[in-house]
Amino acid sequence: MKKIIAGAMLLGASSLAFAQPGCGVGAMIWKGQSGMAPHILAATTNGTLGNQTFGMTTGTLGCNTNESVQSMAMYMDNNIDKIARDMSRGEGENLDTLAVLLKVDEADRPAFRQLMQDNFATIFPSSDTTSDEAVSAIVALLESHETLGKYIA
Amino acid sequence: MQRHSLSGPRPRLLALIATAFLASSALAAPPLDQLAQDPAWLTLGHYRPDTLGSGYTSQADDAGFFLSVDGKDSPEAELRATLAAIQQPGDGDQHARCRFPARDRWLRQQLDLPQNTPDCPAFDTWRQELNTETVTLVFAASYLNSPSSMFGHTFLRLDPPGTENDEEADLLLASTISYAADAAAHDSEIMFAYRGIFGGYPGITSVKPYYEKIRLYSDIENRDLWEYRLNLTPEETDMLLAHAWEIREKNFDYYFFDENCAYRLLALIDVARPGTNLLDEVGTHAIPSDTVRWVVDHDLVASIHYRPSSATVVEHYLEQLPPDERDLAADLADGERTVAAPAIQSLPDESRAHVLDATYDYVRYQAQEEDWPRDRAAPLSYDLLKARSRINDAPPLEQPAEPPIRDDQGHDTFRAGLTAGQQGDRDYIQLSLRPAYHDLLDPPEGYRQGAQLQFLRLDTRYYTDNDEVQLEQLVGVEIRSLSVRDRFFSPLSWQVGFGGRRTEIESGKRVFTPYLDGGAGFGWATSSNSQLYAMGTADLEIDNDLDKGYDTAPGADLGWLYQGHRLSIMGGVKSKAWLIGDHHREDIGYASVSWHLDPSASLTAGWQRKHHFDRYETQWHAGLHVYF
Repeated sequence: MKKIIAGAMLLGASSLAFAQPGCGVGAMIWKGQSGMAPHILAATTNGTLGNQTFGMTTGTLGCNTNESVQSMAMYMDNNIDKIARDMSRGEGENLDTLAVLLKVDEADRPAFRQLMQDNFATIFPSSDTTSDEAVSAIVALLESHETLGKYIA
Repeated sequence: MQRHSLSGPRPRLLALIATAFLASSALAAPPLDQLAQDPAWLTLGHYRPDTLGSGYTSQADDAGFFLSVDGKDSPEAELRATLAAIQQPGDGDQHARCRFPARDRWLRQQLDLPQNTPDCPAFDTWRQELNTETVTLVFAASYLNSPSSMFGHTFLRLDPPGTENDEEADLLLASTISYAADAAAHDSEIMFAYRGIFGGYPGITSVKPYYEKIRLYSDIENRDLWEYRLNLTPEETDMLLAHAWEIREKNFDYYFFDENCAYRLLALIDVARPGTNLLDEVGTHAIPSDTVRWVVDHDLVASIHYRPSSATVVEHYLEQLPPDERDLAADLADGERTVAAPAIQSLPDESRAHVLDATYDYVRYQAQEEDWPRDRAAPLSYDLLKARSRINDAPPLEQPAEPPIRDDQGHDTFRAGLTAGQQGDRDYIQLSLRPAYHDLLDPPEGYRQGAQLQFLRLDTRYYTDNDEVQLEQLVGVEIRSLSVRDRFFSPLSWQVGFGGRRTEIESGKRVFTPYLDGGAGFGWATSSNSQLYAMGTADLEIDNDLDKGYDTAPGADLGWLYQGHRLSIMGGVKSKAWLIGDHHREDIGYASVSWHLDPSASLTAGWQRKHHFDRYETQWHAGLHVYF
């Protein structure tokens, strides 16, 4: 029973980490966790939520990373299969949520959606792509983009 | 005030002084014993009137929720203790003002106390992070496959500013507050049902992001979500959050029927808007769809939004494909064709996009439902996504439309029926009462097609020939889930029920016997709202009057069900082979019809002809069902 309550609290903390992204809470949570980052098409989303929630390794994304990138990384960690789906279509609420987390202005959203769709195979080179790898690829894509680069700087 | 400068060495004395000071100076304020009976205070303390006696008892089952040792049964002691505690100098997370910000706010308003704001770092951070402007009540439609969610589920979503008109992005990140039984993961569904009904689970309030809720309800359990944005003012929203903080991580024992998820949320709304008194609507049970109804009836809802489940979406996607493209989708999913196949590649961009989208969603759905191994699901899914990403500017498939009748607009769940009929050659009048919830011949709108869930139905007959009153049937629980199969979906239909019923023994006497029934089978659609079903059944009856004291029968049930706006019809044949006693067969032909006058009343009629113990008997009835 205690384990479950602790689990619930941890999940509770995740929403807090979201609302105010930053090293503090996120880094604390990640630190205690090790394990595999979720694959883009992990077997399935099974009934036990949260097992993989904090699988993000701190290696790729330390505290020096842009806060919005961290938020995005956590969201990717939890919703990677749906984000991949939206990216392949160039539209969808999960893709828009990613844009919200990266603080992409309304005016730049169409360009953002297009960039993500056009580079789907770069972001997800295989069905084994982990969310870490996808985040790194997205960051690299944005960095080298003329107008969207500012959201990563 | 001067008390503020003291560093609080003698808290109890200070409390006394504070109370005395207050009683003597604040003439306009009501006396404390009167204030302790104020409905708003009783709601804040989760006090309910005792069934016997005149007192109150709090539903909180957590010492940490009370400041007085007598707090559980004494609203007044708790009020006095709270009043003393919130007037203690200082602040900080452990101060009563920070632990009970809603009580603090309310008492200060009632008693004209200084309105300064204390420094509560933990609470302030929490509230800031939740960043709430409005509150939405979310209802997850019922889900028959698990006793824990057969009635549906409700929780609150805390919406950040600027999302009134934008239904999308930011809301996935919004936090939700829900109250649920804290069941250990290894508890079986049966254990859950038992302890849910008779007590034994602590109930815990938890905060999670909305996207996790969507994954659970919409993607895994395939339940449509209805979002009711409440019209709470900013002050009311603040009060709701303050009280949510007070009950957060406090234990309230969880009961399936009344003190459930919906119940605790009603209390939160009552606190936010004193005088609403939603809890007064709760009688013996709080079914989530009923509680949503009350919230709508109390003019608490500003707008309503429908979020179809993954299953609803994928069905609707497949329906939109022309037949030949549906075939292609099925081939892709089965692995009979790949995305590189000429039949796929030669499609125009838009059609190809639609086939790929529908197939991907279908594959994900099936992988989830049927536990496809990763090496089947992942490469296929990936190929579909990659091919799809190469098609630009294809308009997406349409999303499912909002059902014309919402779940909270279906018939009310308490049903009373009065029918007249004939059993063999005896005339009778039958009164039937059913506290919950829905059967296949009730008005179907707002409920799941082919789904039935009845609790505690009681049928009593009065026979006119000898003025005899007889208990005909008492249903404990009766669940039927009849679903249709097609090329894409292959769900199992099933049923289970127990209770007591009249059964005919060889002498011709009808005796009351406990029973347990089960069954499983398949259904096929004959139109959008009708189906054929074929079930294998198993019955068990236990009674002294039976030949060996018990009997069991495998059997079959073949029938047709039509559920329409005005009319619902069901008919078929059943056969059972009783094995233990005198090895008799029982064959039944049956037909029932309901004419729905409106959502609150149906005319009903039924007929049954039975061959049993080498004799035939006919039974029929006709009458009225009303829902309230």
